[in-house]
Amino acid sequence: MKKFLAMLLAIVAVLGLSACGKDDGLTMWCIATKSDSNRHSYEAAIADMEKKYPDTKLNWEAIENETYKQKIKAAVAGDNMPDIFFTWSCAFLGDFVEAGKVYCLDEAYKEFADKLPEKMCKNTTYGGKKYGVPLTMNIVGLFANMDILAEVGYTEVPDTYEKLIECCNALVAANKIPFGCAGKETWCVTEYLESIIEKSIGAKALDDIFMGKTTKASWDNADVAKAVDLFQTMIDNKYFDPDGVSLGNDAVKQNFIDGKYAFYMNGTWNCADFSKKGPKNVKVAEFPVIDATKSKLGQLIGGPSDTLAVAKSAKDAANTAKYTFELGQLICKYGYLDGCGLPAWTVDYDASKVNALTQSVAKIVTDSDYMVLFGDTAMPSDEAGKYLDQVAKVYTKQVDGAGFIKALKEGIR
Amino acid sequence: MATKKSVNLEQYQVRKSKGWVNVLISIFLAIWAIINLFPLYWMFTFALKDNPQILHTNMFGPPDGPPSKWFWSNFKEAWSTGPIDKFFINSIIITGSTIVITTLAAMMASYAITRIKWRFSESVNRIFMLGITIPMQASIIPVYLVVSKLHLINTPISVIIPYSAFSLAMALLICNGFMIQIPKELDEAAYIDGCGRGRVFFSVILPLMKPAVATTAIYTFLQCWNELMIASTFLTGEKYMTLPAGMAQLFGSHTTEWGPIGASLVIATLPTIVFYILFSRRIQDSFIAGAVKG
Amino acid sequence: MKSKKYDGLTIFLFLLPAIILFVGILVAPLISSFVNSFFEYKGFGAKTPVQFDNYRRLFDTNETWFKPSVVHALILAGLSVFVQLPLSLGLALLLGRGIKGERFFLSVNFLPVLISTVVIGQLWLKVFDSNGMVNALLRMVGYLKEGEDNIQWLADNGSGILLYSCFVPMLWQYVGYHMLLMYAGVKSVPTELREAAKIDGATDWQVDWHVVIPSMKQIIKVSVIFAVTGSLKSYDLIRIMAMDLKVKDAAVPSTVLMDFMSLRQEYGVASAVSVMLILLCFFFAITIGAVFKERD
Repeated sequence: MKKFLAMLLAIVAVLGLSACGKDDGLTMWCIATKSDSNRHSYEAAIADMEKKYPDTKLNWEAIENETYKQKIKAAVAGDNMPDIFFTWSCAFLGDFVEAGKVYCLDEAYKEFADKLPEKMCKNTTYGGKKYGVPLTMNIVGLFANMDILAEVGYTEVPDTYEKLIECCNALVAANKIPFGCAGKETWCVTEYLESIIEKSIGAKALDDIFMGKTTKASWDNADVAKAVDLFQTMIDNKYFDPDGVSLGNDAVKQNFIDGKYAFYMNGTWNCADFSKKGPKNVKVAEFPVIDATKSKLGQLIGGPSDTLAVAKSAKDAANTAKYTFELGQLICKYGYLDGCGLPAWTVDYDASKVNALTQSVAKIVTDSDYMVLFGDTAMPSDEAGKYLDQVAKVYTKQVDGAGFIKALKEGIR
Repeated sequence: MATKKSVNLEQYQVRKSKGWVNVLISIFLAIWAIINLFPLYWMFTFALKDNPQILHTNMFGPPDGPPSKWFWSNFKEAWSTGPIDKFFINSIIITGSTIVITTLAAMMASYAITRIKWRFSESVNRIFMLGITIPMQASIIPVYLVVSKLHLINTPISVIIPYSAFSLAMALLICNGFMIQIPKELDEAAYIDGCGRGRVFFSVILPLMKPAVATTAIYTFLQCWNELMIASTFLTGEKYMTLPAGMAQLFGSHTTEWGPIGASLVIATLPTIVFYILFSRRIQDSFIAGAVKG
Repeated sequence: MKSKKYDGLTIFLFLLPAIILFVGILVAPLISSFVNSFFEYKGFGAKTPVQFDNYRRLFDTNETWFKPSVVHALILAGLSVFVQLPLSLGLALLLGRGIKGERFFLSVNFLPVLISTVVIGQLWLKVFDSNGMVNALLRMVGYLKEGEDNIQWLADNGSGILLYSCFVPMLWQYVGYHMLLMYAGVKSVPTELREAAKIDGATDWQVDWHVVIPSMKQIIKVSVIFAVTGSLKSYDLIRIMAMDLKVKDAAVPSTVLMDFMSLRQEYGVASAVSVMLILLCFFFAITIGAVFKERD
């Protein structure tokens, strides 16, 4: 009897503990876990903010990427959102905006308009209203291990498609693997496929397909099918590591760092790691043009996607919005200085120490004239799902170009 | 009798399987034991490697062999990847509370079902037993919505209650098994002495159910300790995260240092293993009791 | 003697905690899932009734891998019953004979049950890695020749290998669990019964087959139910080893559920999956019960 009373007391104690779990201050969720390359920029920015506003306590929480997607969606559904939350632009945030759960930032933006170019907010503007604070932005880059290229006689990253193919053939002949691509994480395959499609059909055409701007059956485009077939020909020609299909991105990236691949196409957030950990001699370029009649250099995949947003339910939302802008600006600054991405905000500080790779990415972006956002970010989540399904099948050759456009034509819109 | 037994023994000797069969059996058991011990070995060596060693793969070196260079620093860094000690304590609190709630609820229900005669006791029991087959996934969305309406998200209670509910059927099954074996005369004697149902339950039945407590505790523990899906959805903050949720969080998005994560896995797993080694006999006996009675 | 009415109240009070848990967390959400499965629902905003559309979509292979996922779960259940459980039974019988080091083997074989699936999953990922142990072994024995590509054990490439790569650890991890359950059954056979059979001239194997196993029917039934429903619910290891909720080759109902719930945010379809999952679990639990009853 006594024991059970003791147990009951223990339960009550736990209940009591859990009941007083809510603290004051702002809450924020993000994906900068302790092992994420963006972690430091968040920590530094938050430290700055706490110095500046000692009275505002920010309780922030970093959650692993995939879990986070689930968690934030569930929180939106359950009206349990944190005051400030990390989000991806376009469709991901769009769903929440549509549900009326996000605080409109138009009012707060006025104060920051001179430091944050309007076009950087394009992906988080819905119905003419701004809902997101962009952080860093990234594009897809073609990273090249120059030491391996040198072995087959190249001193520069091939800048035309013909040269790239020649280079790959030379690499294969020399028993080197040109590309590494993680088949276990479909977003890694999109980094390749989207670049190839873009450089085949042109940025405008691809953007229209992603955003669903063309008329019905926008995927019904024979040139897309051709680009997909081209990608598969490259796989057939042994340009890709055959083990890639069963690897995750961590392993593929490590392989590139260790000099197993000559090229690696992935987001430019990798710049920081590559300049720190190797390969020793690495350059970044954009993927060469495949069909010059439709595309040209300066057409990139990427753009501002990492975003902070404010919940409609936030405490003192007007001030929280301002706080979020300031915080976002700092995260952007530290992220850029760390080499985790390019700044969406105007640079008004000394950035000469940023690693050379990131600087060359900055140059590519400055010279660019069209950026198409990653397909899975641009599309609403249900369509992105179908799209990723098909992309995964392309890489493992379960579907060819014709099958790819047919499936998407029927599945999407 | 004595002579018969000795004959019997002799026969037993004769009938014993042949030598080589025993050797084969021993070899099989040994190999199986090695396979089962391998994860521990692997985890410890994993914890002592750096990224290239872990991801660069060949047969006798890493990732499966011993590290070529030992990175003890991983253990130091493990603490900087996440508050594993906190996760561990959270896990203990949450699993512990679940065990208490489940056991109490199951004991009480079992008493009503097995020791009081009423028309629907068998049907009620059957309905509860359906719980064994219902997967946690089935109610994760609605439960989340309810829990969040009550503003209990990211509190231990938000996982303790679902865990208790999903462990209940199994616990009830075990309790019924134990309770049925307590002779009915005991209660009847107590009733004649003028005790009420409550008194009988608390002062006659419960003290006799101690072995059942250990058994339900073990089955409940096995169900909750490693649970990932509910924990990672309901516990949004590091403050209350359990070990599995915390460890899953350690697997970062784009960059991941694997060595310290391996070290965290070791730190997180070690106490359970040590506890198991120390009490393996009692744990197994209680587990077995559950199987026999349930 | 107490009045009937008073007993009714006592019974109710004793059942109350269990009823609260059972109704609040199991029954009510199940009903809610069932209702939601007939609506299009994003988790927030309005619910639109769609009748059986969610179920129709589940069976459309252009839409999702639900159909193969059920097949996979059934294969897993089959393997579990016909490979995993016999292995567990064999171990239980061997150890139940009182072999030297009985306790040691029991403890060691039960160990994987206690190790987190996060750890187990990562381990087997390394074992099945394209440069991992399995391929290295195959090269050593000459099955894979020089210059031949590695076997992609973990690739979701339509070959279906991934399914079995995931099943190996799933089956392996719980061999010890079932072994211990069955060991309990073996040990509960009275020694006299064994000895009597021995006197009649039975070998160890014959004793196991004719005396021990028949007396373990109840426990074997429980093991079979656990193994089958466990196979239908399986999630953690597939999630870790396939790395992707959209996985096709190793899709199981739970990955489809989580795909609709967390990636596509289609709670209506997700609810339809959970309804199907529950029906499957019940169907098999009842069928297995009936099969064992018939054998009586």
